[in-house]
Amino acid sequence: MSKKHFLTTPGRYAEIQRICQFVADGAAQAGLDETAVFNIELACDEASANIIEHAYGGENIGEIQISWHVADDMFVVTLRDNGQQFDPGRVPPPPSSQNPPQADDIDSIKIGGLGIHFMRKMMDEVVFSRDPRHGNKLVMKKRIKVK
Amino acid sequence: MSITQTQSDNTHHISVNGRLDQAQTPRLEATLTSLLDAGRPIIIVDLTETTYINSGGLRCLVSAWRQARQQDGDLVLCGLNERLQEIFSMVGFDKVFAIYPDFEEAITGIKNNEQ
Repeated sequence: MSKKHFLTTPGRYAEIQRICQFVADGAAQAGLDETAVFNIELACDEASANIIEHAYGGENIGEIQISWHVADDMFVVTLRDNGQQFDPGRVPPPPSSQNPPQADDIDSIKIGGLGIHFMRKMMDEVVFSRDPRHGNKLVMKKRIKVK
Repeated sequence: MSITQTQSDNTHHISVNGRLDQAQTPRLEATLTSLLDAGRPIIIVDLTETTYINSGGLRCLVSAWRQARQQDGDLVLCGLNERLQEIFSMVGFDKVFAIYPDFEEAITGIKNNEQ
C-alpha cells in the first residue's frame, strides 16, 4: 500500500472544489488517465455534497476528512464525517437511457438521489460504513488500468 | 465560471463557461429564474465551454426545463462535450432534453418545432 494522503476541510460547498482538486491530483499522480480522473472527481464531488446536505444537514456543521492511497491496482479514496448515518438502501433506483424519466412525471424524479448513482457508476467499488467512535466512512475504489 | 446571456427575438442564449458545480450553479439558477419569471421563455443553454457538471447542475437544468415547459416555453441544450454527454445519458436526461450539437442547430431545431 502506498502512503496515505490526507486533507480535512470544513463541511462547506465552497470547499468541494478543493476536495476534488486534492483527489484529482492524487489520481493523476497514481497514473490514472484523464477520463478516470474526471470520474473520480465527480464521485468525490457528489460524496462531499451528500455529506454536507444529508449527513450534516447543512453547511458549517462538521468537518470532512478525505484521504487517498494506492493499494494493489486500486486508487482508494476514503471520506469520513461525523454526521447522520447514510442509508444507501433508501435511495431509489436511478433513471437511465434505457429507462429515462418521463416528461409527464418529471416531478417525481428523485433528482436529489442522482449523486449516489454517479458515485456507483463512476467508481469500481463504493462501500458505506459507520462505527460509533469514528462516524461515517465511505470508501470508493477505482481500478488503475495500465496505459 | 462565467455566464453570458444574449437575446434574439424571444430566444435567450445562455452560455456557461467553466465548471457547473455546487459553487457556481446558483448563478446559472438565478439567470434562468429571471428569464422564467418574465414568462414563456425559449432558452438555449449552450454548454460548449462547460468543462464539468454534477448532479446539482443537472438538477438546476431539469428544474428550469420543467418550468419553461409549464409556461409553454422550452429549454434546450447544445454543445455538450463527450463527457457531459456521457453524464446526461447515464441518468436518461439525454431523453428528457432536446440536445443539439451547436447553437446554430439549436436555433434551427426550435424554428422547426414552432412550425
